[in-house]
Amino acid sequence: MTEKIDREEIQKVIKSVPLLSASAAQLLRTTTDPDHDLMDIVKVVKTDATLTARVLKVVNSAAFGLINEISSLDRAISYLGERLIVGIAIGDCAAQLFDKELKGYEGEHGALWRHDLRTAIASREVVVQSNSDINPDLAFTAGLLHDIGKALISDYLQGTAGEVLEKIESEEFDDYLSAEEELIGFDHPRAGYELALAWKLPEAIAEVIRFHHTPADAREEFQELVYAVHLGDNIAMMGGGGTGADSMRYKLDTNYTRLIDLQPDALAKVMLTVNEEFIKLERSFSATGDSNR
Amino acid sequence: MSQIILGVGDYGASNRPGEDIKTFALGSCVSVILLDPKNRTVGMVHVALPESSINQAKSLEKPGYFADTGIPALLKEMARFGCNPKGKGMEVKLCGGANVMDTNDTFQIGKRNGLSVKKILWKYGMGAVAEDLGGNFSRTVTVSVDTGEIILSSPARPNWKL
Ligand SMILES: [Fe+2]
Ligand SMILES: [Fe+2]
Repeated sequence: MTEKIDREEIQKVIKSVPLLSASAAQLLRTTTDPDHDLMDIVKVVKTDATLTARVLKVVNSAAFGLINEISSLDRAISYLGERLIVGIAIGDCAAQLFDKELKGYEGEHGALWRHDLRTAIASREVVVQSNSDINPDLAFTAGLLHDIGKALISDYLQGTAGEVLEKIESEEFDDYLSAEEELIGFDHPRAGYELALAWKLPEAIAEVIRFHHTPADAREEFQELVYAVHLGDNIAMMGGGGTGADSMRYKLDTNYTRLIDLQPDALAKVMLTVNEEFIKLERSFSATGDSNR
Repeated sequence: MSQIILGVGDYGASNRPGEDIKTFALGSCVSVILLDPKNRTVGMVHVALPESSINQAKSLEKPGYFADTGIPALLKEMARFGCNPKGKGMEVKLCGGANVMDTNDTFQIGKRNGLSVKKILWKYGMGAVAEDLGGNFSRTVTVSVDTGEIILSSPARPNWKL
């Protein structure tokens, strides 16, 4: 029998996780600000020696195959682009969560990071291919963080996946989201939202984390972004990049058409790009550092 | 025991005793498996999208991505092993093509992949003798060259045969 958990229990789990670094938190705020430019990103990275070293290591890694080494931070950042810089920063500080083995979902090692990275790329591509006004880099960052709550509740779900699948098949549970709620009293978007509050993440990102499976409930001003990540998440799962037993066991909110115009050909293009980009980005992120990614 | 691992858009064939051909996590993708008992050769292509018309350049570089270019590419590959280039005498098995829940037409890529694969096979006069398509889950598939046996797996489910 699984035990129910409450907000207090989630807070306890969150307390055991390291806080975001000052530079990562600042980068997230900068990326959410509609009036920022790349120089603002450079300024933040410069305040953090470890991050600076990582950025230089990534840009000079074999994944990019540059002939001449890049030694200036400005050039490295403009070469990699904002989304990769933010990705490196939060990927490093939240490594404990991203790299957690999702036993509750019977996920393979590294599955959460890979799914989040795929979702990030897909969310950004959805924005680009549908000619939306959303900042593509913001969609990427929000996509990267959308499922972080799974790392918080996974341990409580251990041993339930087989039963969940049976009950979804027999329609006793609507989908994996309601299974989480039924079994432990807490679903992964809500858990992630608690972390977003504790980490003081920008509102737009917190809203994506909280409503990425139920985008219609998001506040009007953030809905388009939330829908973009909702689609990105589904596209990542369709491409075979889920987190485990829950893959493709969530509902698509087809009312996205109200805000996002994504024709079948555009969707096919998104799927193609996601595969290509994923292979490239996965290599560049794993080029350095000592994680198992 | 050796294994050929196919990524998205890859295809491959083998007649090596003891070898397996494997592909991971077919979400909406479809795996087309061709078995040639006479030549003891097995082939597989991991198709991601129904039609190459959305990106011709890509279909030249990686024909396996699309149903309409992937199946001819696989047949050509198998011909190198002495199989009939039109697929005569081969058995076809299909799996994958899953969809997310409550999907709409646009997002039913899994279903469209399955239909497109069948349409192309039809042109060669081929039809599947077994298939495990659709549903809301991702499949990993392994084919044995020795026996032609196909094993499917998915997280938190017991493995099953096709
Ligand atoms: Fe999720
Ligand atoms: Fe997700």
